[in-house]
Amino acid sequence: MTLGNSDADAELVERYLAGDMTAFDELMIRYERQIYRVCYRFVENREDAMDLAQEVFIKAFEHLGTFRRESSLKTWLYRIAMNHCINHVKKNVREFVEVTETTGRVDASVHSQIEDREQREHFRRLVKQLPPKQKAILEMRINDQLSYEEIAKMSGRSVSTIKASVFFALDKLRKLVKDPSLKKAGS
Amino acid sequence: MFGHLKAEDFINLIESAELPAKHRSHIETCAECRSTWESMRSVHAEVEALETDVPEPDWVQFRSSIRDELFSRSIQRQTAVRRWTGWAIRPAFAWALSIVLAVGLTTAGLLWRTEPPPQPSTPTSEPAGPEEASLDFIDAGPQPSLFDGIVALGDEERERFLAMLEAEQKEAPDQK
Repeated sequence: MTLGNSDADAELVERYLAGDMTAFDELMIRYERQIYRVCYRFVENREDAMDLAQEVFIKAFEHLGTFRRESSLKTWLYRIAMNHCINHVKKNVREFVEVTETTGRVDASVHSQIEDREQREHFRRLVKQLPPKQKAILEMRINDQLSYEEIAKMSGRSVSTIKASVFFALDKLRKLVKDPSLKKAGS
Repeated sequence: MFGHLKAEDFINLIESAELPAKHRSHIETCAECRSTWESMRSVHAEVEALETDVPEPDWVQFRSSIRDELFSRSIQRQTAVRRWTGWAIRPAFAWALSIVLAVGLTTAGLLWRTEPPPQPSTPTSEPAGPEEASLDFIDAGPQPSLFDGIVALGDEERERFLAMLEAEQKEAPDQK
């Protein structure tokens, strides 16, 4: 008989609180990648995302005793991550600085790869212009394939609001793709 | 034009392969909604393509740094708790402190109880005896005493009263 995710999480939490350090590793393996990805969505930088994810896990493990199981552990962790990242972004509002550096000549075989990469980088820059929360919701839905219900629980919003948020994000991107002269989404 | 698709309808259309008949018929007839839907679907696909670009950290090191940080914080908390409740952890120190406090408080109490009363505001011709002091301490009420009466006499009256007392004292040994 296999345990459901929630039951397995509950058992791991109990074991961790009872001082079993192997439960720590198991919980980390289950959620480290997902939480790191959420953080990465906000900061688009490996080191900053690692720092944020580390702070999220420290906060979560230090308050694991207060986890009341009204939601799943996954939702609880995501919620901590989202709040932490939103606060981080609010504190560290900074303009995106584009740094491009090309040196030497490139042969034809890698040229098309570079073009593809450049197109992708261009699109990524457009995505970065979205408001951080909207961008995170869009990527959690499309890239992390979280359900609207899950995102709604994590962010404390309704499913309709989350769907509208995804729509507005896609709509802004669509307009930016058509008219790249628009400096900021929503402006 | 009436009946344009709403935000939620577009999302449902983009994410589900099957289109509800009502929406399909609208998209077929409304160029504006069809154009929006197609361009949004393309943007959706572009966002999906960004998925592979999240760089992965070294998970073992990541886990280890979190474990170390939690351990370090736990030690800091325990040290702080020991600092505040150290006397409970070191019983010899606690006992010594309790004894010093008990002796100190008892001594202070005794000293306070045996301290002489404050000097009366009007000077008396004779110093007050020990009984007077102890009586004053016990009975601090406003009732006048014999000594208050003597203090209240005038100079002449006091001289006469004292002379009378002396005469009485001289006669007393003779009677014996």
